Amino acid sequence: MTETTVAEQRRVEAAVPAPRAGRLRRWWSNPWRKPGFLKAVTWGYLAWSILPLFVAILISFNQGRSNSSIQGLGLNWWWGDPSGSLFRDPELHVAIFQSLRLSIGTMLITVPLGVAFAIGLDRWRGRGSGTANFVMLLSFVLPEIVLGVAMFLVVVNVLEFLNLGTVAQVVGLVTYQLSYPVIIVRARLLSIDKEYEEAAMDLGAPPRQAVRRVLLPMLYPAILASFTVVFADSLDDFVTVRYLSGPASSEPLSVKIYNFSRGSPTPAINAAATFLLFATTLVVIVGYLAYRYSTRGQHRDELTALGQV
Amino acid sequence: MSRPAGSAAPARVPKLRRGRDAQTNGVHYPRWYWQSFAAPAIAWLLVFFLLPLYTVLSIAFGTVDPILRTPVPVWQPWWWTTAHVAEGLDKTFGLFQTVYLRTFGYVLVASAICLVLGYAVAYYVARYAGRRKTLLLVLLISPLWISYLMRMLAWINLLQPDGYVNRVLTFLQIVPEPVGWLEGRGITVILGLVYGYIPYMILPVYAFLDRIDVNLLESGRDLGANPLSTFLRVTLPLSRPAILAGLVIVSLPMFGDYFTNTLLSGSPSTTMIGNLIDDSIYTAGQQPEAAVLILILMLLLLIPIGYYLRSTARTAAAR
Amino acid sequence: MQHPRERRRGMSRREFLRRSAGSAVALPSLAAVLAACDRPGETASREQINLLVPRPDSPVTLPMNGEPIPTDTPIEQGADLQIFNWVDYVWKAIVRRFVEENAEHDISFSAVTTFNNMEEAVAKLQAGEIEADVFFPTIDVVPKLAVAGLLQPLNHDLIPNLEQNVWDVYQNPYYDQEWRYSVPYTVYTTGISYRRDVISDDEIYGMANPWEILWDPSHRDRVGVYDSYRDTIQTALLKAGITDISTGDPEDLGVARDELLSMLDVVNPRATINGSYKRLPQGEFDLHLSWSGDIAAGWGYVPTYTRDYYENLGYWFPEDRRGPVDNDCIAIPANAPHPRLAHEFINFMLDFENAMDNFSWVGYQPPLNDAQPALLTETEGLYSQVSGWAEPAEYVLPWMEAAVVRQSDFDVGYRQAPLSPEADERWNDVWQQFKAGVTTGG
Repeated sequence: MTETTVAEQRRVEAAVPAPRAGRLRRWWSNPWRKPGFLKAVTWGYLAWSILPLFVAILISFNQGRSNSSIQGLGLNWWWGDPSGSLFRDPELHVAIFQSLRLSIGTMLITVPLGVAFAIGLDRWRGRGSGTANFVMLLSFVLPEIVLGVAMFLVVVNVLEFLNLGTVAQVVGLVTYQLSYPVIIVRARLLSIDKEYEEAAMDLGAPPRQAVRRVLLPMLYPAILASFTVVFADSLDDFVTVRYLSGPASSEPLSVKIYNFSRGSPTPAINAAATFLLFATTLVVIVGYLAYRYSTRGQHRDELTALGQV
Repeated sequence: MSRPAGSAAPARVPKLRRGRDAQTNGVHYPRWYWQSFAAPAIAWLLVFFLLPLYTVLSIAFGTVDPILRTPVPVWQPWWWTTAHVAEGLDKTFGLFQTVYLRTFGYVLVASAICLVLGYAVAYYVARYAGRRKTLLLVLLISPLWISYLMRMLAWINLLQPDGYVNRVLTFLQIVPEPVGWLEGRGITVILGLVYGYIPYMILPVYAFLDRIDVNLLESGRDLGANPLSTFLRVTLPLSRPAILAGLVIVSLPMFGDYFTNTLLSGSPSTTMIGNLIDDSIYTAGQQPEAAVLILILMLLLLIPIGYYLRSTARTAAAR
Repeated sequence: MQHPRERRRGMSRREFLRRSAGSAVALPSLAAVLAACDRPGETASREQINLLVPRPDSPVTLPMNGEPIPTDTPIEQGADLQIFNWVDYVWKAIVRRFVEENAEHDISFSAVTTFNNMEEAVAKLQAGEIEADVFFPTIDVVPKLAVAGLLQPLNHDLIPNLEQNVWDVYQNPYYDQEWRYSVPYTVYTTGISYRRDVISDDEIYGMANPWEILWDPSHRDRVGVYDSYRDTIQTALLKAGITDISTGDPEDLGVARDELLSMLDVVNPRATINGSYKRLPQGEFDLHLSWSGDIAAGWGYVPTYTRDYYENLGYWFPEDRRGPVDNDCIAIPANAPHPRLAHEFINFMLDFENAMDNFSWVGYQPPLNDAQPALLTETEGLYSQVSGWAEPAEYVLPWMEAAVVRQSDFDVGYRQAPLSPEADERWNDVWQQFKAGVTTGG
């Protein structure tokens, strides 16, 4: 709507040729012109937000050891250096694999749990649903350190069968991420009327089939969005996995970056982070394209759902 | 909805039930049907969310093993010891008061910057972006899937004494000599917090501004108000719920943040609440103290969390 | 001449410990020790506490909490060596050499599990979260972990290099008599590293109390201390003239606390772990509390690897060698998955050549008889030799000769002994106040 209004306005203005002398004055005195100041602020913010990333990527191609200034370009830290480069250093491989392992594992558990939870919460009429909803929102809104420390204390002092390590990390991540699919799916559920399922059941389908064959396919976009969001978010999670990490093999890349920043980082860590960045970007692009394909012709609730909550 | 005439009878007919199921327009679900969907997640949250929170309580009110200095959780509330909690509360108003006040200060300033800057950006993208809207949206959302640690790493690289920020500043003569950004300055930590969390302000505000009925805004113009007046009297009041929601979403994680300070400063003069918790969790015999700090943190955040939960419930009910 | 405070404390503690040292032999079994810990709130017995606070003048023989592995145990096949260590504290190339030398047993090694401070390491070991073959503790945690049953006794027959190669003082260390659980790894002193292009040697060596330079306001924002409570608080104690760096006296610790808080006011220090070996050479600090090994390895982290730049790095330690001197250890945790391999590794690390090569990278000196201190400042180490991109550097650069540790240092130096639980609490309190950034001004 905004676009048509502005476009309209422009068309109107273009139709009337303006006298040269008065153009500047008209531009200045038109209170509804596009604000250049806001535009500058926006692009300035985006530069501030994104450019450092490019510098970090650039440094991964640094020839020397420095993390702060470029001393020539080369693939030294990607596969040149015999022991420290990304390709040759098993420590970085382990970290990258651990990051991927954690996010895939978390994604596979969180989304089914969350989708089922969302459906249940949406349809549940009665006592208890408010409480369940409250607990879920609480897990969304508490600072992550609360959850991380609580899980650490539980794993170390209570759940003795659970050791710090990959399993504990996945458990912690699932708990932390559970609210995301719920929120996303519920947004879509709001626009799905019950009459489709009821029609199916009138035609004789048992409730389980009605859900599986009618409701779930309508939820595919939301489920897809949930997978992508949970994957991307748990890939670079730091607080929870750090507290729940055990031996070196269970430290994902985010923890390694943190530890190395306090030690002696080489540009190899930039290379590892860049690698993971490309992997994530790929997944997000694929997920987004699949989402667009599955929602062609429909209103896209999920993106704004994340904003509105 | 009646069955079309002449169709065969279905293989199974759901049994008729009374009571609760009668609410669902004649379609009959088994009892506890929808609850069963939610049950696995509820069980999960019970064991892995509520139980850990209760463990925090039991450790805060528990004791410490004398030799190994490990915490001993006490599960029954009637055996709880208040030594650690008393000490924790004592420290809150004594030793740690500076840290709490400092954290509040940082979060306040950082949230304010997030609000002003974030609102401006969201406003522009929602209303004036035109063709570039999708591109801008993608760029705005990108921090959410780019590793936070990697972005911080980028800043650490840039803020070194011989990093590019200092080079540009000294080249442009804005500062006479390189500034020690990473030498324990509050401003660096605040800007780090802004950098990390501002996307969480932009998105809710954008989502809201995107959905605003333009007619409302146009009405102000039609009535002769200039843009500034329209903004102050129409747009801003309308966006209040989105602003508050954004402020809450942005400030809550900031209270628990500790790694921004560790990475960008490392000086005790910028310690935040999160650092206190992080330091004590790994110190022998101090885990009960960490637990108490967590409880105090949750208590402090009760009001913003409560506000947030209430407003979410309200919007959900309104739909 | 003893400080009056020292004598007052020393006598009572010495008598007290002498009385109870004898009971170390008649110790209750480990099961009884742990059983006593079952009921919370019950204090541990005096004997147990004494084991945890050995002193050089009252050494401690830790109880055997089990049998060492038999001498004829074969080396585990196909093992993946698990090392639990500080960041950057053992040269991976040396570990890989160990792997190659034992290729017939098909062992592998990928990464060192690291910890940021000893408290974190102990917490993870106590929780049973780490299964390491070798662990590199500081001496103050060795008795604690041994009593708690988290370390296993060593089989001396499998580590012949210790008696052959290592300094006499370590044949019977005070914290672990008969070296039942640990072997020494490196020796080091704790002094101050400084940028010689900002502070001249004469300036710092000429001061009456050089520890004070860390409080010098003209170096504001350019001073660093270690993120380690023992080392930083002990620096404040030494600056105030208190030489018992393992004191539990509340008054002494009060003095230290005041000193540290004034340091925050005056100088705004930062607490780091890599400040001395990495960030000071890179120009982020002008002064940093430093272990001798950190600055000895500093040449590897400078922006330009030239001799001129190496000359910017300096180290100060009291000239009469009356300062903190200490060692780190290697031990084998009780739950080590490959104990026989661990013994082999320890013996490997005590071999002269391997230890010296490790030294060239790590910077920390091994206490070996053949490592003549005089030669260390004249010989180029292996790491420097293989670093073609850097100009040659000796094991210890000649102008930081103070960083070389001699056996005689242990006669006059101060040792960082383990603290009793009450003392540890007081030290932790002081540390918390420092870390919270609460200055005396507000």
